[in-house]
This record gives sequence, C-alpha cells and structure tokens, in this order.
Amino acid sequence: MTSCHCITCSDEGTPMTVLRIDAERALALCESEDGARASVEIALVEPVTDGDRLLVHAGTALVHL
Amino acid sequence: MRFVDEFRDPELGRVLAGEILGAVEPGRHYKVMEVCGGHTHSIYKYGVDDLLPTNVELVHGPGCPVCVIPMGRVDDAIAMAHEPGVIFTCFGDMMRVPGSHGTLTDASAEGADVRMVYSPLDALRIAKENPDRDVVFFAIGFETTAPSTALTLKRAKAEGVPNFLCFCNHVTIVPPLRALLESPDLRLDGFIGPGHVSTVVGARPLEFIPADHGKPVVVSGFEPVDILQSVLMILRQLQEGRCEVENQYKRVVPYEGNLAALKVMGEVFELRPHFEWRGLGFISHSGLKLSEAYADLDAERRYTIPNVRIADPKACQCGEVLKGVIKPFECKVFGTACTPERPIGTCMVSSEGACAAYYNYGRFAREREVV
Repeated sequence: MTSCHCITCSDEGTPMTVLRIDAERALALCESEDGARASVEIALVEPVTDGDRLLVHAGTALVHL
Repeated sequence: MRFVDEFRDPELGRVLAGEILGAVEPGRHYKVMEVCGGHTHSIYKYGVDDLLPTNVELVHGPGCPVCVIPMGRVDDAIAMAHEPGVIFTCFGDMMRVPGSHGTLTDASAEGADVRMVYSPLDALRIAKENPDRDVVFFAIGFETTAPSTALTLKRAKAEGVPNFLCFCNHVTIVPPLRALLESPDLRLDGFIGPGHVSTVVGARPLEFIPADHGKPVVVSGFEPVDILQSVLMILRQLQEGRCEVENQYKRVVPYEGNLAALKVMGEVFELRPHFEWRGLGFISHSGLKLSEAYADLDAERRYTIPNVRIADPKACQCGEVLKGVIKPFECKVFGTACTPERPIGTCMVSSEGACAAYYNYGRFAREREVV
C-alpha cells in the first residue's frame, strides 16, 4: 500500500486499525496510520476485535492484515 | 512501519535489481503489463522502472477506474445532477472528469448540488439527513469498491432509506484483460496482476491468462520491493518455461478471494450485456448494474438519462495509453494542452492514471540509464 492513496476513487487500500466496534450497526471506528478516523463496514471480515488491522477500500474492510 | 518499511528497503531493491538483470536474456525485449493503476502510481513515485534493465519494459494497463469511464456516462451523471431536488454524490476527482459539455464541478457552479464523498456510507448518511430529496451516488470502480456499494445498498434497504439511489458504473477486471489479450496490436510477455482486486475475487479468475494465452501472471503488492519481486517472478517463469498464476502478495491476498464480498455482490448486482470502456470500446459482460431486487434504488430507472455514446476527443489518446500501445509522453497533447490542472483525457485526471503519474513524477520522455 502506498501512503498516498488515490483520492479520485478511493480505489487503493488504506490500512486502518480498529478502535471501537459498533456491533449493532456492523460498523467499526477505525484509524489510519496518519491519524484519520472513519466508520468502516466490517461485515466482510467478521469477526473483528479492537486493535485488528484491516485493509479498507471506500469505507469497507476487505481483508485482515 | 510493519509490512511497509521492509518493502521500501533500498538495499533489498538493489539486490532484486541485480537478480532481474541475471534473469533476462540478452537481446530479448520483455514487455510486462501492470494491470492496476495503483502499481503505475508506485512505479513512478519510487522510480522502480529506473532499476530495471532497458530491455524490460513496463506497460500500463486499464486498471484505473476513473480512466476507463467513457464521456457519455459523465454526461449521464451531469444530467442526473441537474434533476430538480437531487443531491449528487461522487468520489473526489470524478468531479473533474470532463464530459462532452463540462464536468460535475461545472454542473455544481451552474447550481447543481454536487457533493464529494469518501465512501458510499457518506452518501447514505446524506440521504438520511435529507429524506425529502433523492441522493444519487455515482458508483465507480472495480471489484475493490463494488462490495462497498453493495453493502451500502443492502444497508439502505434494511434501514428503509428509499431516497438513496445508485448510478452504477462498476466494472470487472477480467473482461478487459481478455479483450486486451485478444487485441492484435499488443504483444506482452506477462502480467503484474492486480493486488487489491484480488483480495475480493482471488487469483483464480486470472488463471485463464496462462491457460488460454500462455502468459505468466504474478499478483503483486504495491510497494517498490513488491513490484521488483513480481517482475523477477515473471522473468523466472519465462526463463524456466513455466506459465502460471503466482501470488507475490500473499500477506494480503487469499488465493480464493473474499467469499462474503462475492456473495453480497452476487445479491446486489448483475452483469450488463455490455459496457463501454474509454479507449477500449464496448466489452461484453464487463459492467455491473443493480439486480431486480434493488431496482427501486437504481438511479438509471428513476431518471431518464441521455445515454448517448460520445466519441473521445480527437486530440486525446487515452485509448492507446490504456491499451499500453503508446506511452503517455507520446500523446500529442501530453503536458501541453492536457495537464492535471486542465485535463482533456481521464488518464490525466486521476492520480492513478498513467498520464498523471508520468506528469507528476517528471517523466516527459523515456530517458533511462542502463543499469
């Protein structure tokens, strides 16, 4: 993963770390390496626990790192 | 940083460059296509091609999702953005991609409500906040972003958000590769396979390349050492007379892909009979549309769109660049009439586009020293 991901289409993975899980909404608050935080869909990589590292594309985690 | 620093190690890069030099046959010219725009970006950001022997040429493929959007679809998007009451949402620089009469940014200046989002979830949130207006999400991308759109559509249905609509332009990676391989004007020796698309679809769908076309494929990561190692793996296959799909990016890509992602895509999308690609023309079964179960959230069914095919600008040679037939600097308008600030073609708009990568990293001509 390059640190400079494509802002055009978000079509480059951003590695993020899980901070908190909202199980009811199937979302997780995640933080990228540069400190940006976002709500991320985790339905495709469950089970997820705090501290997991995920590869996120367009707000959806695709794989555990 | 773990899994990053090791793959940017200059010493390891030099060792691999030496091994690559040992693996090439003198007098033979090798053409290797990197399919994914993310690879193109990394190659020029880190100067990976400067470490390769002059007879190993990297050719850029059609793997930037913005670059392959035809002008007609941008016009359709602009028409939707101008519909009364619509909030039109899209990823960042899609706003700058030219249609036949301007961009989404121009539409915004003319009064359309166009908003940039980072994910379809952002668009869904806007829809919930504006229940009396239709919120259209301009969905683009390969199998990396398609699961995200699919999950958001499922969420919109489950949460009862009928004003969230999707203008679906998702595409799949295998049909254009097939079209490229069948193209008579392209001779390639091997492929650097897409990294993150393969996290979703797995490496198996690429097996037709060695099986039917006799070309090696190596699924690769995005760091400079990843790319060098992948080039070496391709050259080794050629040297040893092997031809198969190998996975250099095992730390991220499972060979079978993400079955949950494929399942949700199967529920929400179906294949279009054909879809137009910039520069490549119509390719059968290469685009996705919403399935019948999601017809009520399909913006194309809600609004009448022009749906007119627009020829690419005559001066622009994005098509040849996307097929790897010419290098960006060989295009007549590269760096003069067409720049990232005022792009004519899509390859100059997106940071993953080959032209933008060449322009931003100062590659105005092919000047390489012999390693």
